[in-house]
Amino acid sequence: MSTAAERAAQLELTSRLRSAYPELPDAPTPDMLDHGRITAYWKPVHDVGGEPDAPMKYENKQYEEWEHMTYVMCETLGWRGIWLSEERRRIGNVDVGRAQYLGLPYYGRWLIAVARVLVEKHHIGLSELSERMAEVKERYAGGLDGRKPEAEPKSEGDGSQVKRNKHAEEADGKGDPGCYAGQAGQAKFKVGDPVVVRELPVIFYTRTPEYVRGAKGEIEALAYETPAAEDETWDRAVKPEWMYVVRFNLAELFYGYTGTASDVISTEIPERWLELAK
Amino acid sequence: MTDHGHDHDHDHDHDRTVAPMVDEITDFEVLEIALRELCIEKGIFTAEDHRLMTEFAEQIGPTPAARLVAKAWLDPKFKELALAEPMTASKEVGVDWLHPTGWGTPSDFTAFQILEDTPTLHNVIVCALCSCYPRPILGNSPEWYRTPNYRRRLVRWPRQVLAEFGLYLSDDVSVRVQDSNQKHRFMVMPLQPEGTEDWTEDQLVEILTRDTLIGVALPKAGVTTNAIVDTRPAVHPGNAG
Repeated sequence: MSTAAERAAQLELTSRLRSAYPELPDAPTPDMLDHGRITAYWKPVHDVGGEPDAPMKYENKQYEEWEHMTYVMCETLGWRGIWLSEERRRIGNVDVGRAQYLGLPYYGRWLIAVARVLVEKHHIGLSELSERMAEVKERYAGGLDGRKPEAEPKSEGDGSQVKRNKHAEEADGKGDPGCYAGQAGQAKFKVGDPVVVRELPVIFYTRTPEYVRGAKGEIEALAYETPAAEDETWDRAVKPEWMYVVRFNLAELFYGYTGTASDVISTEIPERWLELAK
Repeated sequence: MTDHGHDHDHDHDHDRTVAPMVDEITDFEVLEIALRELCIEKGIFTAEDHRLMTEFAEQIGPTPAARLVAKAWLDPKFKELALAEPMTASKEVGVDWLHPTGWGTPSDFTAFQILEDTPTLHNVIVCALCSCYPRPILGNSPEWYRTPNYRRRLVRWPRQVLAEFGLYLSDDVSVRVQDSNQKHRFMVMPLQPEGTEDWTEDQLVEILTRDTLIGVALPKAGVTTNAIVDTRPAVHPGNAG
């Protein structure tokens, strides 16, 4: 026998276990995994739209200084050509894997993405980062004692040899995606066209949400031209393509939808993901 | 820049004041400081770059967005401009989407659209993939907007989620969810509520809370605060688990 409170507590505990299917052993043999589960493991973890969840209390939280400084550092790195925003979004929101994605605070993921991109692109060595972290920790070993942690750089580098992307020059005065205008050629679809979202296999990254794949929608607007996220996230030079705002009827999109027959959702999808509906 | 200051208190539930520091430095603070120091030492960015971006980030807030909608309510010509060329209209409330880099903020891009509500259509925004939000004109997103919970549920159960914000829509109003998951940034232009016909722009700005511009609330005479006002202080070490 268990009490209602005990049952609720256990349900809550189980629902927090997210990194693997609990019915399978660690590193299952290939015959234990079906297509659905492999797709789930390969799903970019940021793509949570439509996954069931229970209501929770929405509340604000007092900002911590490091959260704000992390946001500023990410934007400064984008400004100074170390990464594109699309690289940041992948590294911090997908490459972290499911456990850290669900387990770390929002800006904790932004911060780990900074460390990741600087190490992966050889701007800093992991050893020097570890040593510096130890040093900073040591500086405050006796507790902060009311002090605010301060960055104390030992010097200021001239930066002329730092490898940077060319985005600032390309986008200056035009913005992004404005800098890609006129580069995609003739748009394949026009407003009002009925389209189906292709079911392309997904590994590593996409920004076309799972909840619309295979579904029928209608072109609501031609949005802009841009490299698609799948390429831009590795800063590959590719031909920009048209992005479309596509509208879906919610009652058709989601089985068991409980709103009205006229409720809709609109989202942006690159041309490669769309085909004319028959 | 005419109107970037926090000239009223919409944002008081989302206080940007730095949390009081606990005695022990946290792992995140250690990592942030270490990375920032190494970046400056190696010239990846300069201390001055970082300072300029900090200044920009500290002056964004929801006031320009509220003023833009208030102006549109009062001036049909401006409303036309706001819907057709929202980034041009933004300049009238002191927001240049190309600031502060000359090509915009890296994370917000420069494709802005305003979604107009009608008596039979209600718009609400979400970014199901991360937290895309029109920061330059609306400030930083609220904490709940970034939660997996809101992002999972709004795209599929919008009426239930809106009800949790206290917004009950009748069946003759269609919901249009805008999942802003690529480079577009969106905000909602709600309908001007009854009883505000002779109000001034400043009065209207007061009721155009951040939540009404996300679409989780409707503007109402006499309501000048967001739906979610509870703010948890940051206290370390945490007590979870």
